[in-house]
Amino acid sequence: MQQEVVLAMLAKEPSHGYQLRERLRDALGPLGEALNAGQVYVTLTRLEKAGLLAVERSADGADRSDRKVYVLTPKGQQRVAEWIAEVAWPRPDLAEFHLKLIAAAAAGLADPLTIVDTQRRELLRRLRDAQRAAMAEPERSNAALLLEGIVLRLQADLLWLEACEKNWTHRRSGS
Amino acid sequence: MSEAADTPVLCVRGLRKEYGKGEGLVRAVDGVDLDIGAGETVAIMGPSGCGKSTLLHLLGGLDRPSGGEVLLNGRRTDNLSEKALARMRRTDVGFVFQSFQLMEELTAVENVELSALLAGRSPRAARRRAEGLLDQLGLADRARFLPSALSGGQRQRVAVARALSNEPLVVLADEPTGNLDSAATMDVLQLFEELHESGQTLVIVTHDARIAATADRMFSMRDGALVDETRLTGGTTGQLGALVGLED
Amino acid sequence: MGRILLVGRLALRDLRRRRTEAALLLIAILAATTTLTLGLVLRDAASDPYQSTRAATNGPDVVANFPSADRLEKLVSAAGVTDHSGPYPVSAAKLQTSGRTSDVQAVGRDAAPVSVDQPKVIQGSWVSDGGVVVEAAFANALALRIGDTVTLAGRSFTVVGEAVTAAMPPYPGSSCLVDRGCGRGLDPDEKAPAGLLLKPGLVWLTQADARSLTSDPASRAFVLNLKLADPTQAPAFVDTNIAASLVGTNPGDGGHPVGLQSWQEILNDATELARDSQILLLIGAWLLGLLAVASLSVLVGGRMADQTRRVGLLKAVGGTPSLVAAVMLAEYLLLAVVAAAAGLAIGALSAPLLAESSSGLVGSAGTPALTWSTVALVTAVALAVAVLATAVPAVRGARSSTVSALADAARPPRRTGWLIAVSTRLPVPLLLAVRAAARRPRRVVLAVLSIAVTVSGIYVLLVLNAVLGTPTLTGRYSEAQLDVLRHVLLVWTVILLILAAVNAVVLTWATVLDNRHASALARALGATPQEVTVALAAAQVLPALIGAVLGVFPGGFGLFAAIMAITGGEGDRATLPSLWQLLTLVLATVLVVAALTAVPARLGGRRPVTETL
Repeated sequence: MQQEVVLAMLAKEPSHGYQLRERLRDALGPLGEALNAGQVYVTLTRLEKAGLLAVERSADGADRSDRKVYVLTPKGQQRVAEWIAEVAWPRPDLAEFHLKLIAAAAAGLADPLTIVDTQRRELLRRLRDAQRAAMAEPERSNAALLLEGIVLRLQADLLWLEACEKNWTHRRSGS
Repeated sequence: MSEAADTPVLCVRGLRKEYGKGEGLVRAVDGVDLDIGAGETVAIMGPSGCGKSTLLHLLGGLDRPSGGEVLLNGRRTDNLSEKALARMRRTDVGFVFQSFQLMEELTAVENVELSALLAGRSPRAARRRAEGLLDQLGLADRARFLPSALSGGQRQRVAVARALSNEPLVVLADEPTGNLDSAATMDVLQLFEELHESGQTLVIVTHDARIAATADRMFSMRDGALVDETRLTGGTTGQLGALVGLED
Repeated sequence: MGRILLVGRLALRDLRRRRTEAALLLIAILAATTTLTLGLVLRDAASDPYQSTRAATNGPDVVANFPSADRLEKLVSAAGVTDHSGPYPVSAAKLQTSGRTSDVQAVGRDAAPVSVDQPKVIQGSWVSDGGVVVEAAFANALALRIGDTVTLAGRSFTVVGEAVTAAMPPYPGSSCLVDRGCGRGLDPDEKAPAGLLLKPGLVWLTQADARSLTSDPASRAFVLNLKLADPTQAPAFVDTNIAASLVGTNPGDGGHPVGLQSWQEILNDATELARDSQILLLIGAWLLGLLAVASLSVLVGGRMADQTRRVGLLKAVGGTPSLVAAVMLAEYLLLAVVAAAAGLAIGALSAPLLAESSSGLVGSAGTPALTWSTVALVTAVALAVAVLATAVPAVRGARSSTVSALADAARPPRRTGWLIAVSTRLPVPLLLAVRAAARRPRRVVLAVLSIAVTVSGIYVLLVLNAVLGTPTLTGRYSEAQLDVLRHVLLVWTVILLILAAVNAVVLTWATVLDNRHASALARALGATPQEVTVALAAAQVLPALIGAVLGVFPGGFGLFAAIMAITGGEGDRATLPSLWQLLTLVLATVLVVAALTAVPARLGGRRPVTETL
């Protein structure tokens, strides 16, 4: 769970841990179902240790994690502001797959085309699931938007896999 | 090659379509075997020029094969006369084209009822059916509009309504989202899901992975032959959340 | 100058690319120009032979006749008279040759030539004792040859010569010189008094022979030929002197005035046949002109999509709207000029075949010359036809915006809501046919018009053909002349039919091409090829049916009335075609159109669907 995300979720107002989880689930829709509850609390603790968060005591004074109220420190607020203004974009991580193909071909471990095919199948199934989920969402909900992005990314990845297939077929027939 | 459902709606054996001869022989469809069960959605994907449109035309009786058999509900269609093929197209097969192929001077409802009129239904019955279908597809308020006044997605929905007009055994769609933008494509995707749920047999030819992903089975086509089959029903290897990558 | 060359080059290149269309356009205009040329040339040709005859024979300006010679003598000294010949005796008699009998007026002449009206001998020799010279047209009609023996009023004579004169119209026309009176022929309505001369021919004898033929005063008269100082004043002379002779009628004159005829009247009578044929041809020419405009509109309009894109391209590379319009018009004007020239040539060369009415006039066998006015008129008509049919698309194409012209694929079809609704009740082929027709209403109108024009023409042909067979006309014209009229009718009917057939085929092709997409779609949705074929044919046949009905009424009926009004003919005596004939005509038209459209329609119905969709 990215730290800045949790920080930003607290920017509006101090919240309990479970409120945080609610907000995340709301924003992620069905993808939020898989969100590990524990993950959130681990991140919260880390952020507290780093001094970006502070803990307010809850009203009834109990020391249970989910009753703690978390609030941003000034350092935390600054961090959030910086994060909002950043234009970093998640890197497409294609190098790993690309190297997988080359290694398999070079070492004779497996047929690259088979690898590509298998991956394609997997991605298609994921695409199907994501599409289904997207259609189940009400129009213009947060989750629908996110799912559209996922679908488009998968589509792009599939296009690249098609190119890989063409390329490796050509290589094979050429060699 | 592929598992058939109990009674395949569409059964294809060794289908071939060739143009030219000798040096200039082009095998547009080169020995295709295929079984499609009732209620299945089948997608055929491939690069342009691989023969998928030709295959679809052969399935629907718009073109005659050079060899092989096509059986629709157990009856052979590849050796029918033009007249019998026309009749078959009326009642057993519905077409959806990439460029919609609506008559520009007819309103939406007139376009949809044309199918039924050509099949010999009375004008009133045809009109009722057309209006019902448009209603089902959410176009009731656009029924009297000309195609030029409809968006791409709406036009394709009218085309689908027309294809469904005579309750066909199978709907054949040739690049149904080829001329549509992203939002309209979602629209049509939704429509095909609904059709699938209602038990309509669908064969879709496409190069768009999103459309293909709605199918139960997906075939890859290359150089006139089906080279790969993927069964898409059945879960993915991971949870949806993995798609999002929220874990470190 | 450079621009004109550019326009010309572009136009020529375009025509070369579209040869079939250019050829069809050429044929359409050619039909109109040929017929028009024929009509005009005949009109000119009509008066020429008579003029030549007048010149060759020193034809008289006025011909006078009266039972007694003394009255005629007085005319010699009337105002304006410069020369005269006669008075010559005239006797009416019966002429018998092997198997044929005819009334004649025999004029007694001297062997020596005179200065006014010396008939020109074209075969044999002039009058001699016991010899008879026959007027050339009369000789033709009776198949008389030099040396034949004929009986005149019971006496034998030998045919010694054939001659032509300008003093009387050629057989079977005639001027009546005797009191007995003359008739044109068997007319069932006319109560012919006994003794009437029927279609009398003209012969010449010596004066002695002529006088001795008969002693019946009613069969004898005298004829006087006068030359005036001013030939153009001949009609005025006739009027003045008829009035004068009325006033000064002496007792014992029989109570009637001197018979006077100006040469203009004789010319009129002499050229009757050519005039009538000419009128028929002119009307035919206008009809063909209409058909040509219709064909052109179809041919030009059908290629509108092509034109529009060409216009767009021309404009996109810098052509101004005027240049664009100029190129388009230049093409069709070029065709029109070629068609005019060809029409003039064909018309001039074939006119003699039609103008050969009788041999009774000198110079009638030559090639009628093309006058400048004829050339100008025919060219003007050809240009007008071309401009009429093409101006509208040309201007519209030039005015359209470049972008829309480039992007434009074709004219969008028209939507006629009520027709679409009505068509749903029809069986499939008719449904498709009605919708195909509704898509292009202007083409339907053109189809109706062209059939209507054709059927009107055939209606008139039927009437005239019937009229040509009736005794009324056989009285006015000889058999040979009737043949000429029939030929004329045949000429323009054939041209009319060819043009109409071309029109029908072109219109069907245009419909088939225009409906390519709709037909393919209909077949993809389940229409059989037969249904589509029938639909495409019906889209032509239905307008043809409407056109045929309109062509019969008011079309043909009105056209015939117009012809009768123009020619001043006896329209009330003509029997209009019976109802059965008209129904057959309509049915035949529909069947012919169906046959003509069958091939394009069938080809259109069987075209592979996948190509089009």
